[in-house]
Amino acid sequence: MIDTGSWVKDYPFTFSHWLLVGAAIILVMLITYRLLKMLGMKTEAASGLALIMPWVLGFLIFNLYPFIASFYLSLTEYNPLRPLKLDQLPALVGFKNYIYAFTRDPNFWPSIRLTLLYGAISIPLGLAGSLATAMLLARNIRGVGIWRTLYYMPAVLPAAATALLWRWMFNPTSGLINTILSPFFSLFHMDKPAWFTDPQLVLPSFVIMGMWGIFGTTTVILLAGLKNIPRDLYDSATVDGAGLISQFRHITLPQVTPTLFYVLVTSMIAALQYFTQALFITTPRQAGIFLNVYIWQQAFNQQKMGYASSLAWILLALTLMLTLLVFRSQSFWVFYEGEIQSETKKKRRKNLQLRQSVMSK
Amino acid sequence: MATQAITPKEMIGSPKNLTVSRQKTIVNIITYTLLGLGAAIVLVPFYWMVRTSLTAGTRLFVFPPPFFPDPIVWRNYIDAWNALQVSFTRFTANTLFVTILAMSAEIFTCSLVAYGFARFRFPGRDILFLIMLSTMMLPGVVTLVPTFILWRSLKLIDTYDPLTLGAWFAWGPSYIFLLRQFFLSLPKEVEEAARIDGANLFQIYWHIMLPLVKPALLAIAVLSFIGNWNNFMGPLIYLNSGEKYPLIMALKFFEQSLSKEAPLFHYMMAMTTMMSIPLLALYFFMQRNLIEGITAGAVKG
Repeated sequence: MIDTGSWVKDYPFTFSHWLLVGAAIILVMLITYRLLKMLGMKTEAASGLALIMPWVLGFLIFNLYPFIASFYLSLTEYNPLRPLKLDQLPALVGFKNYIYAFTRDPNFWPSIRLTLLYGAISIPLGLAGSLATAMLLARNIRGVGIWRTLYYMPAVLPAAATALLWRWMFNPTSGLINTILSPFFSLFHMDKPAWFTDPQLVLPSFVIMGMWGIFGTTTVILLAGLKNIPRDLYDSATVDGAGLISQFRHITLPQVTPTLFYVLVTSMIAALQYFTQALFITTPRQAGIFLNVYIWQQAFNQQKMGYASSLAWILLALTLMLTLLVFRSQSFWVFYEGEIQSETKKKRRKNLQLRQSVMSK
Repeated sequence: MATQAITPKEMIGSPKNLTVSRQKTIVNIITYTLLGLGAAIVLVPFYWMVRTSLTAGTRLFVFPPPFFPDPIVWRNYIDAWNALQVSFTRFTANTLFVTILAMSAEIFTCSLVAYGFARFRFPGRDILFLIMLSTMMLPGVVTLVPTFILWRSLKLIDTYDPLTLGAWFAWGPSYIFLLRQFFLSLPKEVEEAARIDGANLFQIYWHIMLPLVKPALLAIAVLSFIGNWNNFMGPLIYLNSGEKYPLIMALKFFEQSLSKEAPLFHYMMAMTTMMSIPLLALYFFMQRNLIEGITAGAVKG
């Protein structure tokens, strides 16, 4: 029975807790400050530590404790429906869950494959596309602001809305996509693709939808990176007679690599955690189950919280491995100002010191 | 370099420059065409969302689908608003309630923490900051199950507490990072002058520092509003009763209608449009701040 009037209870309940926790946080900060001062700490250090207390507490409660607990759980077969005695921890079973995932779980490898393939296809395509768009916008065109506003719009839309919208547009019989493409299909005597309902096309459909949704964010960030490139680099290149292509290769691309690197890392982490869109799209069999969705299913539909924790740790290991790999690769392709200019900076510093010593005399 | 200077006469007269300007026109035409094409790809799905929301339910599956809905059915919005057992008034109120509480707590604590990291020297500061940044890489699902168990042991499942109270603990490392960048850019003299005048730490923070980082505060306010408004994983896990759902979860009800014979795409798109309008409006008014917010990490960092 749904009780629509329950907000009279629901809102004040949480609001009072919210006020209490807020007051408690402020109190903790004040107590920390007093305590550290009493222990003989300087005012500056005591203030700083007191100020970061909300984060320290948050880190302990919502990061460190769950982090350790989830590793422990990953070594158990914890099921919240199976009653445990009070104060009794679920029994350890060793690496059973991990072994099961790697060797026997029929859905594990497909979900890993889908997640990695999604990232491997959508990230390079997205980066190349948004770099090209950002470069068009970085030319001195009219109304940069309006274009930028337009291109960023999909990123503001809720992920769930994006998913529902694209599901409708990909509708095999009367969706917009197939309508637009239908002359093309009849020309080549092809059947209309079924997109999300065809296991073969699930991944491309996700990629197309994802491109539309995230394109704006990367474009805006890359545009900011391009605008940061000193103009005089281009001016001197033009004077030296460098064409557009060699300007791109020798100035634009190297100068934008730090921004590209940032975008690569953030979009990689986001792709590994692809969730909301995938949950709003039902696909035949398990074809659209990303790793993150699979973990959620195991934990909250199947109530296998121990197994879900192992899967989460596998995702963490995967994330760390890939991030490390990308960070390691930096030296091959990311160009940092400091590397080349350190010589000139040294010179500049020497000049400055010289000038100062002259002035002080 | 001086020998390459071009006199005005040469600039008009020489055929070489004529081709250069023609080349420029061609490049411009290509640029605007490509940009226009991109804009169409971005905008058409938005149009399709609104179009479907105004299409009669019986005419959803007409083939080929007409580009303009005929007739325009404004009633869809009213019908969809009341289509479920719970009216969308309640869902909207739920969303606003959660978003405002979480957002205000987030802004308050994140700005304090950022101020602490940026303007004070204390032992372990740099290591703590590094730890904070590295939590950004931690996938949410790793901490999900124990956090759920924590809230359950507090008997707070199916309340708004798990969605709002955590915000007091400065969740959102990227917000802290962004605000810290802004605090760092302020000159040290600002605080010293105030301190000499006898202002205490909180007065300095509230009356001097916060107004100076207002653009960054607005940026994280917008980011946090959008983030909480669109938060899906949280309500999905912590809320069980339908009347407590935020808008995004209410959409899930319509989604379930899709497996039935007459999918309610028109209602779904109507409510999706309704849900997106506040965000798009916020975005149009605050985009300068928002764009500053999303690019700061990349370019300044």
